[in-house]
Amino acid sequence: MTAAQVRRRFRFVKTDDASENRMTPVGYLMTNFGQKWREPVIKRLNELVALQSGWDGYDGIAVTFENAYFAVGILDACCRGDDPTPQIVPGASGDLQIEWHLEKGDIELHIVAPNDVHAWHVDVNTGFEGEGMLLTNDFTAVVRWIKNLTEPTRATVPAAS
Amino acid sequence: MPRPDDLPDFKTPPLYEVALGVQFTPTTGYQQVRVGEVWALFREDFPSVQEVAPLPPTFETFGLPQGGRVGTQINLRPMPGHSRYWFISPSEDELLQFQQDRLLHNWRKVGDKTNEYPRFDALIEKFEKELRTLETYFSSLAPQSLKINQCEVSYINHIEIENSASVASAQDWLNFVRFDQLQPDDFAMTFRRVIFSPEDKPLGRLIYETVLALTENNETIVQLTLTFRGAPAGTDINAAIDFLQYGRRLAVQSFKEITTDMAHQKWGMVS
Repeated sequence: MTAAQVRRRFRFVKTDDASENRMTPVGYLMTNFGQKWREPVIKRLNELVALQSGWDGYDGIAVTFENAYFAVGILDACCRGDDPTPQIVPGASGDLQIEWHLEKGDIELHIVAPNDVHAWHVDVNTGFEGEGMLLTNDFTAVVRWIKNLTEPTRATVPAAS
Repeated sequence: MPRPDDLPDFKTPPLYEVALGVQFTPTTGYQQVRVGEVWALFREDFPSVQEVAPLPPTFETFGLPQGGRVGTQINLRPMPGHSRYWFISPSEDELLQFQQDRLLHNWRKVGDKTNEYPRFDALIEKFEKELRTLETYFSSLAPQSLKINQCEVSYINHIEIENSASVASAQDWLNFVRFDQLQPDDFAMTFRRVIFSPEDKPLGRLIYETVLALTENNETIVQLTLTFRGAPAGTDINAAIDFLQYGRRLAVQSFKEITTDMAHQKWGMVS
């Protein structure tokens, strides 16, 4: 399933950007092993689990706690400390989407329920126009996608003469 | 359900507590105000009740090789609406833990610690019945079945260190501990291992936790906890039971692997 198909099935409303850079107390950083994305993501998830019913102008409900916890589990499994902070976008049915929109491409992970994730990515460098996958608890593919989209482009090294 | 012949067995294992648990998606139509109805399902076997803080959702996920989640805290605001309830048996050695997204069955040593372990096969049979009873109850509130998203089995052992003056003697019991000339005051260790299927897919995590502790009688022990946790192959009760049985096998085999020959002799290993 592509992200476009997902969007047709679920209403997503983008609100605040979770990627703001914030100073964190030293003790907190120590317990989090320097994961820069962690604090803004937790802050954002705390907002989303507290959404009021009808928050989207229709019948939208808050992001469920189990989906919020599972989202953190995914990020723990996929993100190194200095990986870019994703946007977290609520769905109307207690679901949510984790999104990276980067210069080299996009990744979208739609968490329908724990162990039920529709993943999609585009990589400008490799020419992928979109790859959809259904994932459960193994996010090895997403680790690879993030790495490809974030690592510096290798310069061509001239052969020794 | 008979015990598999190839599993290590001990006459007097240092087993202190065993917990079988599942986590499931909160069900439609259930609210905390109905917890008395849930207790009524099990009250004959568990006539006492105690209210404790809820457990947060827990998920084993896989990706980065270094297991970056060790020691991290999620710190989401507390879940609204539901406590965890301990339904306790008359002898207090068995308890059923219930909250809106969890059911766990524990056996534990109590009193003078001589109560006999009923064995895993008897425990899991009870637990399966309890899960089916709970599912039937939930389906009376709305057409639905349990959607189980995580299972865990834990074995908690209390290994008495005979020479308690020397913490280093823990290495007589645990073969991954080696202090040599070092005489530590105490120690605590946690390590984790991803368990893969024959197709190289991650099935779950086996978590080893050891910590030096004092009992209420001031005896020095090493508390060794082995937990296998992960998502079952399906979301129904049968898949959960399969997962727990597999986890039991892993935990028992690992217990044998990480304990010494001397310890095996002491605990009367029979196979």
